[in-house]
Amino acid sequence: MLKVQIIGPKTLLDASIKALHEAAVVHIETLPEDELRKSDFLMKLPIEAEKLKEKEELERAADRLKGLSGLLAPPPSFKPVAVAAEEIPRHMGDLEPIEEMARYLRAGKDALTEEFSVVTRYARLLRGFAPVVTRLGGLKNFEIVGLTLQKTREDIAGLLGAEVSRITGGAYQIHAREIEAETIGVVLAYQKHFAPEVKSLLTGKAITEVRLPDEYEEMPLIEALKLMGKRKAEIPGRIRDIDRELSALSSQWYGIIAGALMAVEDALDEFGALSYAAATRFAYIIEGWVPAENYAGLKIRFSGLFGGRVRIRRLEVGRKDLGSVPVYIKNPSIIRPFEVFLAALSPPRYGSVDPTPYVAFFFPLFFGLIVADMGYGLLILALALYLRRLTSKPGRRILADMAYVIAISSISAILFGFLFGEFFGDLGERLGLLHPVLFNRIEALKTMIYITLGIGVGQVLLGIILSFISRLLRREFSSAGARLSYFVLVTSSLVLLGAIFGYVPREFLYYGGTMMVLSFIIFVVLEGLLAPIEFIESLGHIVSYVRIMAVGTASVVMALVANRMGSMAESLVLGVIVAGLIHSLNLLLSILSPSIQSMRLQYVEFFSKFYEGGGRRYRPFRKR
Amino acid sequence: MENGLIAIAAAIAIGLPALATGLAQSRIGAAGAGTVAEKPELAGIVIILIAIPETMVLLGFVMAYLIISG
Repeated sequence: MLKVQIIGPKTLLDASIKALHEAAVVHIETLPEDELRKSDFLMKLPIEAEKLKEKEELERAADRLKGLSGLLAPPPSFKPVAVAAEEIPRHMGDLEPIEEMARYLRAGKDALTEEFSVVTRYARLLRGFAPVVTRLGGLKNFEIVGLTLQKTREDIAGLLGAEVSRITGGAYQIHAREIEAETIGVVLAYQKHFAPEVKSLLTGKAITEVRLPDEYEEMPLIEALKLMGKRKAEIPGRIRDIDRELSALSSQWYGIIAGALMAVEDALDEFGALSYAAATRFAYIIEGWVPAENYAGLKIRFSGLFGGRVRIRRLEVGRKDLGSVPVYIKNPSIIRPFEVFLAALSPPRYGSVDPTPYVAFFFPLFFGLIVADMGYGLLILALALYLRRLTSKPGRRILADMAYVIAISSISAILFGFLFGEFFGDLGERLGLLHPVLFNRIEALKTMIYITLGIGVGQVLLGIILSFISRLLRREFSSAGARLSYFVLVTSSLVLLGAIFGYVPREFLYYGGTMMVLSFIIFVVLEGLLAPIEFIESLGHIVSYVRIMAVGTASVVMALVANRMGSMAESLVLGVIVAGLIHSLNLLLSILSPSIQSMRLQYVEFFSKFYEGGGRRYRPFRKR
Repeated sequence: MENGLIAIAAAIAIGLPALATGLAQSRIGAAGAGTVAEKPELAGIVIILIAIPETMVLLGFVMAYLIISG
């Protein structure tokens, strides 16, 4: 990564920013404050009033476009139309009537949805009252009132009837029926001129007059209920019509809206870049970082555009600047999806090791060793490929990367399944289709322990070597020496243990012991008093790799149980169902548990040896 | 008799660390759930933290295996 400075006349600032934007390789950086303070002629670039006005207009356009894209749901497939910065005002003009139409349709839809929810609320009352109200509907000069009573106060209906009879001299009708579990609906019809007396009677605590929604309040109850029934039937159709109109608008205009929004945001980014620039009376200065491989291309591009009027030069990067160098992680496309493992951590420090290639090797290895079943592997592969197809749309990169990682890991599971002769546990062997090529995992637990411990030794030592190399390359000799002594200490202690337990010739006892004592002293001197803890921790980390065997054994035993229980069933169909259910559960665990365990071995046991986080990600100034 | 004692010893070797792991994971899990509620982007780290105490039960498993296999 190279630090560069771009200097040119102020008149070419806008064009230079546009050129940088097109080049898409410069991570722009603010000039250090103290440099600006110390300088007599250098200052932060003042933003002119006209520019500010232009920026505000763009911000308003961005708000409008975001609002419009919120009003229109995105069509199932669309491609943002390429919109140049000069075309933004024209497109904003074209979109004005669309905005108005979308807002009008949206408001209509919202009102209908609200009305639908109101009439649905009244539907129960409607159903309860409808037969009676229809019968009473023919009475002339009669007032019809709907009431609700709490069921516990059912007696009130009788009292009410008696009172209304007294007021009206018997010229009334009352009908009560249950409309909800705890509510009774009452319809009361009486001659209109008794209304004031009857209304004053209906103010009791347990009686509630049915209050109609505002838009129906002026109507007689019967009319209101009839209209509500009609609206309830027709509103869903109207909403569907509006949705159709909105989606027609969306499929015609969404690409333009998305394209215009990208152009507006790009233009706003260019305004943002101005705030990073510094200026003298006549010149501007922009500083930033460029990957070494893009430096020559950038210079050629600028000299082609501006002749010699805008200059690009390299700046020296001092040791104190090393912490602020942005990190550019670039891996071949075959292992790039494994960068997803770095998402949970801060990016690696500049000059330290990118663990992606190692994870791309070890993660599928561990996953494969744990699952090691051709049947499960094939199902996980199918699932991963399906997930990858679902996540092929842009914006779902993390999920797509995870699907890729699972697919590669499932291939490893299939391969190890073949070597251990496993297809849904021992089903392959029972059917005579498959036999272990290496050994049967259940019968060779000790061998599996040795293999996993061996992998642990390999990965832990690799981690220490990587840490040694990166420190050596950064010329941190004392720290590199500590890492080397750490490596020798762990190796010699393993040789010593091997000699004690008879796995290594006895002569190594003396050499191992001597090397261990010497390296331990050097390690403590160089690393400090925490060194012994680190050493013991690394031995614990090696043992931790036994989890590959332990979780794998649990998985294979569960598969065996599934087959055994299936074979114990009386009928073939029942046996297949029982075995299928247990295998499904085991398959689910086979995706979850091996992923977590393999991931943990990377993060805790491996990364802790060499990974140095705290880096800043390289974010080039580029178009969206 | 001896076989029975060996089996009990192996069961204790794996059983006690399993309980300890469960206890540790329950506490980390509860704290982790709170963390994820506030910062969902830390879910990956929380899963790893929950998996850390499993080393105890693994060591217990190895010991149990050594006891049984003699």
